[in-house]
Amino acid sequence: MTAQPFKRALIDDLLSGRGIWPAVPAIVVLLVVAVIPFAVLLSLGFSEIVASRGVIVSQELSLAPLKAALADPLYHTTFGRSITLALTTTLLCMILGFPVAYLYLVGNGWVRRIILVLTIAPILTSGIVRTYAWIVILGGRGVVNTALMDLGLISQPLRIINTPWAVIIGMVQIHLPIMILPLIAVMSRHDRRLDEASANLGASRLDTLRHVILPLSVPGLGTGAALVFALSYTTFVVPQLLGGGNYLNAATMIYEQVVYALEWNKGAVSAIILMSSCLVVLVVIAGLAHLGSAWTRASRT
Amino acid sequence: MTVLVQPADALAGARPRAAPVIDIRGVVKRFGASTVLERCSLSVQEGEILTLLGPSGCGKTTLLRCIAGFLTPDDGAILIDGRDTAPVPVNRRPVGVVFQNYALFPHLTVAGNVGYGLRMRGLPRPEIIRRVAASLATVSLTGFEGRYPSQLSGGQQQRVAVARVLVLEPRVLLLDEPFSALDAKLRASMQLDLRALIKRLHITAIFVTHDQEEALTLSDRIALMRAGRIEQHGTPEEIYDRPASVYVADFIGTSNFWDGNAAEGAVTFPDGQAVPTALSGAVRVLVRPHNIDLAPAGTGRSGWTGIVRSRRYVGALLEYEIEAEAGATLRAVSLKDEAGAALASGDRVVLRLRSPAACTVFSQP
Repeated sequence: MTAQPFKRALIDDLLSGRGIWPAVPAIVVLLVVAVIPFAVLLSLGFSEIVASRGVIVSQELSLAPLKAALADPLYHTTFGRSITLALTTTLLCMILGFPVAYLYLVGNGWVRRIILVLTIAPILTSGIVRTYAWIVILGGRGVVNTALMDLGLISQPLRIINTPWAVIIGMVQIHLPIMILPLIAVMSRHDRRLDEASANLGASRLDTLRHVILPLSVPGLGTGAALVFALSYTTFVVPQLLGGGNYLNAATMIYEQVVYALEWNKGAVSAIILMSSCLVVLVVIAGLAHLGSAWTRASRT
Repeated sequence: MTVLVQPADALAGARPRAAPVIDIRGVVKRFGASTVLERCSLSVQEGEILTLLGPSGCGKTTLLRCIAGFLTPDDGAILIDGRDTAPVPVNRRPVGVVFQNYALFPHLTVAGNVGYGLRMRGLPRPEIIRRVAASLATVSLTGFEGRYPSQLSGGQQQRVAVARVLVLEPRVLLLDEPFSALDAKLRASMQLDLRALIKRLHITAIFVTHDQEEALTLSDRIALMRAGRIEQHGTPEEIYDRPASVYVADFIGTSNFWDGNAAEGAVTFPDGQAVPTALSGAVRVLVRPHNIDLAPAGTGRSGWTGIVRSRRYVGALLEYEIEAEAGATLRAVSLKDEAGAALASGDRVVLRLRSPAACTVFSQP
């Protein structure tokens, strides 16, 4: 290829928006807001740093901070708590979300519209607002306790707020739409004639749900689970506000290390552990979804 | 309105009739304000292949879905082996459905699809494997057990769909346009194969199709439907040779219609011959293309004169379009090696009915 046509083609592409050019602004933004900070984070995490009042005095490459963190029992309990919380949230979202998606599948136009509105509306509200709403609902003089006391079921308020229970309730409510949406996407593509065929072959509704609808929903469950896990594992607002400041998960720990203790070094190490462990779990989820949907890999011969 | 000249059931009375496997009695189905099925009655005998034929929207698929139990009739009853199916839920009916798009489970292999119904019945695994293998053998798909539906051709998918219901030995096989997804050449051979298979296994079957040729090929009997009603029910020969209405005549095969006036038991066709009819007044005469004999003009034969407008080869047949006197356009066919088959476009011809009695006469709508 000679240089001249290549150059003309390049200018042509640039002017007409062909090739990679339309993606260039996004690439630049990603470079500035994601890749460079990520590189800084890595360099902070894999270094021994001497800082004074938050200003780095000296920095040299070292694995010592990472090793120290991995041996620290506080990290074990915090990350263990984070993973447990995220997996519990993911599992509860799957259990609660699937019936909603099933209702969407079998429902008529109105049922479908109502489900869509109810699913999307919370996403349009800020997570912080929704979390504060839970404080109102679950608080000592909140809706739940008032109702239970008025009914005479309890004599003094239950302690829900500032407990792990409140955190789980809030986490599930915040993340449920993220699980439902990919499931609805699968359901809206679902061929109802498969359900008729299943019934015609002798299956009850439950059989059809178990042997046809559920297996065909695996790709949606996988996507939903990956999204919910990634978001709930790294979440900060809900544990901070509903856990009453004493519920330490990975994100709240990083926040304290960086904002209060000004330990950028430790914060970076925690962030690296958080990211890499998240990635490991996501790979496992993707692998399970992959195994559970073998048919999608069968190609036409 | 159309009048039944020769009732379709005139011959049926002579045939010995056992209790029908399927007995459809006055079934009505409405969707909102529109009535899709209006008092449909029909019966299918043991081992018989019946086709519900009609244009889209005539209610044929709705009737099929009522039999399968996917829809509940608003009135009337559907009996299988003399028992009302109304209280029988869809998954307990002795009916196997082959869907238009086959509705194979994409997440299950061929063996998984065929074995699905047996699994739902809780059969032990070794028996499922044995019966799946036997069923796949009947549709010549041995060795395809481990494939997914997406790895099969359209014809193979159809055979899996058939094997999947036949393995359960249903009393009735329902097939909803099972050939519509196949290309023309494959369709013809699959039609013959499927008919042979159904006959060999002596299964009672109901096909749904809008393709009249398919109906004529496959069926022992045809029920021609129109706007939610069964217009005529009979053998392919009865429907073709003695259509009950202009609509049926027009739907099945190629038809020539000629309007005339009948009196004293006959209507005089333009070729001078008398077509017998019990009707009087304005009538419409149906003449099938093979009932028209063509001869070159000027050979001294009497008849209805006309001009050949076009000629078309249809395999061993020649199909002519003739513009007859008084502006009528008629279609005639003749065998290629018959005398007079050398007619060319523009030739003057004399038309004569081969058999006036083979014409069907309707009162004019």
